[in-house]
Amino acid sequence: MDYLVLLYDDERTAPQPGTARWDEDMEGFIAFGELAATAIRGGEALWDTSTARTVRHVDGALTVTNGPFVETTEVLGGYYVLEAASLDDVIELARNIPTATTGTIEIRPLVMHEQTSDALVPPGATRQLATLHGPAGEEPEPGSAEWDRGAEAHGRFAEAAGSAVRGGGAVHPASMATTIRLRDSELLITDGPFAEGAEVTGGFYVLCGTAEQTAEAAGRIPVNPGGWVELPTIMELDGTDPDGTGLDGTELDG
Amino acid sequence: MADPTVTADDVARVFRAEAGRAIATIARVLGDVAAAEDAVQEAFVVALRRWPAGGLPAKPGAWITTTARNKALDVARRESRRPDHERRAAREALEATAPVFHPVADDQLRLLFTCCHPALAPESRVALTLRLVCGLRVEEIARALLQSTPAVARRLHRAKAKIRTAGIPLRVPPPELLDERVASVLDCIYLTFTEGYAASAGDELIRHELCDEAIRVARLLADLLADDAGAAALLALLLLQDSRRAARLDDDGEIVLLEHQDRRRWDHDRVAEGLQRLGRVGERTAVSARAASYLLQALIAAEHARAPSWEHTDWAAIVRHYDRLAALTRSPVVLVNRAVAVSFADGPAVALPQLERLADDPRLAGAHQLHIARADVHRRLGRPAEAAALYRQALALAATKPERSFLERRVAELDPSPPDGA
Repeated sequence: MDYLVLLYDDERTAPQPGTARWDEDMEGFIAFGELAATAIRGGEALWDTSTARTVRHVDGALTVTNGPFVETTEVLGGYYVLEAASLDDVIELARNIPTATTGTIEIRPLVMHEQTSDALVPPGATRQLATLHGPAGEEPEPGSAEWDRGAEAHGRFAEAAGSAVRGGGAVHPASMATTIRLRDSELLITDGPFAEGAEVTGGFYVLCGTAEQTAEAAGRIPVNPGGWVELPTIMELDGTDPDGTGLDGTELDG
Repeated sequence: MADPTVTADDVARVFRAEAGRAIATIARVLGDVAAAEDAVQEAFVVALRRWPAGGLPAKPGAWITTTARNKALDVARRESRRPDHERRAAREALEATAPVFHPVADDQLRLLFTCCHPALAPESRVALTLRLVCGLRVEEIARALLQSTPAVARRLHRAKAKIRTAGIPLRVPPPELLDERVASVLDCIYLTFTEGYAASAGDELIRHELCDEAIRVARLLADLLADDAGAAALLALLLLQDSRRAARLDDDGEIVLLEHQDRRRWDHDRVAEGLQRLGRVGERTAVSARAASYLLQALIAAEHARAPSWEHTDWAAIVRHYDRLAALTRSPVVLVNRAVAVSFADGPAVALPQLERLADDPRLAGAHQLHIARADVHRRLGRPAEAAALYRQALALAATKPERSFLERRVAELDPSPPDGA
């Protein structure tokens, strides 16, 4: 089974690029990458929420605002798609993710997941993670007629969006979520998503393009009435850097 | 010849005793808890039709498990909603079982760990355990937990959907995870017991079926996980506490304090078994923190069980156990209970300042036990006005009818004037 593993952490206390703590964090992620190599089906690191936008429809008009829609102390800093035989197996892997000791890790079973395309990111473009959100508790169950209609709408969206969509996945409802935290070597496992009201509903896409193109594509993603799409920027670990500061990706190849 | 004595109630009673084992065994074969529950439910419908006319089967457990197996096989052969490979796997697994199919005790342990998985909400773990391991019907669970039947049904539905969808495995956790996971099983059983032993709401203080089911599951866990100190300690604790059940209320349903209980009414078989189980835990070397908290509570209960009378209780030993428990759990409720023990070991004047300090702890806001403990100490120190005021505060927070009745009596004894009087 494939699981979407969402990494939430407090970005105010998270290490900054260029510091020793950042390097330590990176080494931790590299170690996790080796440990979970056979299970990792995908994943991306995200820039902080100052690079994120929220796209939604207000009175029929597309609105784009800066930052996430719901303010939370812990914010999405990255994700993995992990394949595991059971929830216990994915928990045993995820407890080794470096941010488990400081933040919250949410584990969501995926209905389906498509590999992110490896095509190059053209100059002037970035990749953005589009996370889908909506009023809590109104998610249809996979297999229901309502869910099937939603899946068809997403199929039409992806086809029309063409190369702007580099991948994505559909998640089971938030009520199927489990969160884990590792504190003083004690694993805390709880039922439900990391934060009620801010949880991902429906799924996610990886979009590629200029800021205008990705916002425009995000505006066409089918979401439930009252729903919205958040667009944090994906960190290109091969050295592409939207701000021209920070990460030196060449170190990661060593 | 039809057996005229088999009624629908008889069928229900036999199922309540056997359903959990049948569900556990079918669930292991199918790898699907909800489908196993459905199959056993169908077997119940067949039994309701056949047993009153044909009499009880010689081995009801094997009959139920075999009938449920056949029902599950029918479903696996005709069901089209699930993917082909899952249907085939279920069919093959069922066909590989013996035609007369006996439940296996180990299967219940697996199912118990699944029902108490930490990725399920604590209330869901209790409801699932009562439904699947104990075989209670949804209406019985709703009555026991004082919730509506639809609410319990929704909770169970969601929990079973999560087991299946999120991939909660049906297994006894491997040794490296056992300590971590036994903890949530112990907590679930203890939560079930305490809700039965000191109900948080309603007309009754004690809900007997919850106490009985919690002890049944605790015994199952302790017997199947024979090396686990926490499981043995929890069973000892429940047996020792429960031994006093019959003496805790008088014939009118009024609370009888431990001090005034007729110790001849205690269940001495439970006391003996509890002390014996506890003795065996004491021989073990390594005890996890979780096991230690149940062990210390059991040691406190054992001091009461061993004491020939209230006057001959070893309060100093009880205070020592509470000291260790307080250091381990850092729970303010434990500190309240410790101070009560101090009031009997060293006198109410020593306990009073300890309780007054706890009165400022925000975690105890709304805890009527603290008001009762303070009121009692004031009463024994000859300060009826302070005591009555505190009993009244507790009265406003007490949840069950017998508790309120007890507190009203105390107020009336201390302060005959009505609360609104001058």
